[in-house]
Amino acid sequence: MIWTTWRQHRAQILVTGGLLAALGLLLLGSAVEARLHISGHAPPGCPGTAAACWDLARALGDRYDTVYSIFGWLPIVAPALIGAFWGAPLLGREYERGTYRLAWTQSVSVRRWLTVKLAVLGTLVVAAGLLTSLMISLWRPVFRQDVFGNVGVFNMVGVAPAAWWLYAFTAGTAAGALLRRTLPAMALVVAVVSVTTFTLFGLSEHYAEPVRTVLSGTTVPPDPDSRLVSGAWVDPSGRELAAPPAGVCLRPPDAGRSSRNQEAHERCLFGKGYRYALYHHPPSRFWRFQWTEAALLTAGSLVLVGVTVHRTLRRKG
Amino acid sequence: MIEFHLDRGSGVSTYLQLVHQVKQALRLGTLRPGDRLPTAREVVEALTINPNTVLKAYRELEREGLVTGRPGLGTFVQRSIGGARLADHAVLHRDLEEWVGRAHAAGLDRDDMEALFATALAGRLREGIA
Amino acid sequence: MTDALRTTGLGVRYRRTWALRDCSLAVPPGRVAALLGPNGAGKTTLLHAVVGLLAPDAGTISVAGQVAFMAQDKPLYDAFTVAETLAFGRRLNPTWDDAHAVARLEGLGVPLDRRVSGLSGGQRAQVALTVALARRPSLLVLDEPLANLDPLARHDVMRALMTAVAEQPLTVLLSSHVVADLRDTCDWLIVINGGRVQVSGDIDDLLAGHLVLTGPAGAGTPPAGSRVVEASRTGTRTRLLVRGTSVTDPRWSARPPDLEELVMAYLRSPDAAALPAPAEVRA
Repeated sequence: MIWTTWRQHRAQILVTGGLLAALGLLLLGSAVEARLHISGHAPPGCPGTAAACWDLARALGDRYDTVYSIFGWLPIVAPALIGAFWGAPLLGREYERGTYRLAWTQSVSVRRWLTVKLAVLGTLVVAAGLLTSLMISLWRPVFRQDVFGNVGVFNMVGVAPAAWWLYAFTAGTAAGALLRRTLPAMALVVAVVSVTTFTLFGLSEHYAEPVRTVLSGTTVPPDPDSRLVSGAWVDPSGRELAAPPAGVCLRPPDAGRSSRNQEAHERCLFGKGYRYALYHHPPSRFWRFQWTEAALLTAGSLVLVGVTVHRTLRRKG
Repeated sequence: MIEFHLDRGSGVSTYLQLVHQVKQALRLGTLRPGDRLPTAREVVEALTINPNTVLKAYRELEREGLVTGRPGLGTFVQRSIGGARLADHAVLHRDLEEWVGRAHAAGLDRDDMEALFATALAGRLREGIA
Repeated sequence: MTDALRTTGLGVRYRRTWALRDCSLAVPPGRVAALLGPNGAGKTTLLHAVVGLLAPDAGTISVAGQVAFMAQDKPLYDAFTVAETLAFGRRLNPTWDDAHAVARLEGLGVPLDRRVSGLSGGQRAQVALTVALARRPSLLVLDEPLANLDPLARHDVMRALMTAVAEQPLTVLLSSHVVADLRDTCDWLIVINGGRVQVSGDIDDLLAGHLVLTGPAGAGTPPAGSRVVEASRTGTRTRLLVRGTSVTDPRWSARPPDLEELVMAYLRSPDAAALPAPAEVRA
């Protein structure tokens, strides 16, 4: 049954392996080149969180714009592709082509057939996700230290990719089991993955109670890799305001990308005794958030596997 | 070894055709006691019929005592049909061939000859002579 | 001897309607059974229930031994080579006889390294048949095995089936909606119509137990002791197909029906049935 799984899904396994290898080469190439650039041009202690490194970060950004764009899409595209090409065809194609009438009338029970396929392919998907997160974890620090603050990056490191890809795979198999056709199942799984992505991205700030830090003199969090939730101005008497105070300082609008007037307004407010209360999650919560998200996605995966197994074993026309 | 053929349009059931062909072969002497009949598998590969039909025919022949089945070895002819074998009657055979030649010369075709022979045979049988 | 296949009161529901209703039939071992009926009568549903692809909603199915299946259109994995298809069968069936399977296909001239998608219709059928036969099943079920095949391929498939029945203890159940292909090869008949079993029995017995009667148009009631299956009137003659073995009424001329006439008569008369009592089923 393991050989059968390999032989039937050989193409998608090899293509995925090839794509991961290509991604790895791309990341490796850009990281090596960036390192060379940095060792030639960077101030000491960079890349890092210090203000002196921001120019370097911007230069790197301009230089590796393409790589960053690919990277930016990965958190959504990778699970969608896994769901569409690993998950949906598993059952969708068997029903569509009628080969289930061949596969499920051999000496192996349908239960065993499905269990082995889900186990083998699910394990491969998780392994691919872990490999990808390893590659990204090694690559990203060359450019920036933003694994927690940037939600997109957060979902490409740690255990998040493995959890996302497993979820997408099981969503795809469930779609195939329910719709019994590959293309509609692909469309459904892409929709499900997208909805889940936006839902969890929005939900993630609630994985824990945000920390409240009161700042005087700056609205920038002490650790730039913090996950920002919200902020509010605090008046000199200690009361939190719903909106920035009006009529206290002049606030002419800024032109273009400049934030000089904004900064002047803030300096003025601070000078008058106002402070800024920042609600955020510090980077130390990285693993807590990783495991929380992984737990949610894994629970979802288990439900989807249950749906798949139940629907398939029902043996109805 | 006997080679069976099947006349699918004749309306005669297959197993009867097989029985008939074995009996004909026994009469003509092309099958002799001790000869082996083809296995059901061999017949089926040649004719694409149900093997049970072959077995049914062989069972019928065995019931009539003409063949006997030896487990693991095959089905073998037990005895021939009729007192004397047709091959022994060379004189009668030659007379018949001569008659066919004369009938043909007189302008009879095959059907005419068969009808004429059938009438004569039936007439003689009725008289209780044949 | 236990039947190779027996169903009792089998019912299968599809959404709101019953695709099969109260189907009881039995096939003795070693028989070649033909399942005949019009399209949509429930043949495929019945076969899928027998091989376990569908769960019955009522009644029971019992099969003695392993069941192998060749589904309609002979599904195979198009991307596999013939050799890989055999490997698939070998790995999924502990009773697989690989030497026999390879010898069979080589004997038929089917190249083992060719992709399934590159085979002709007849070759595909032979590969699908080999996959089913190589595991040495007790019961082989085939859904319209002769459909969409050219006459040569049809003949080859039937010959392969008959040879398999001669070589090993095997019961065959095949469905068709063409009667002519089956007269010399099948010895058990099941007719299904509108989701119900109309006829189930030995073909020779069935033909011997029915008569085609021809008589004048105004002949009135049919002869006593016979049950009319189907009556048709053409001009001056009445033609009846009855269940009965002899008729003494001089107005009627009688002869046994052929298989096609028998099946057609039952299909045209959905309320008629010719089912044996359980004790009558014998090998």
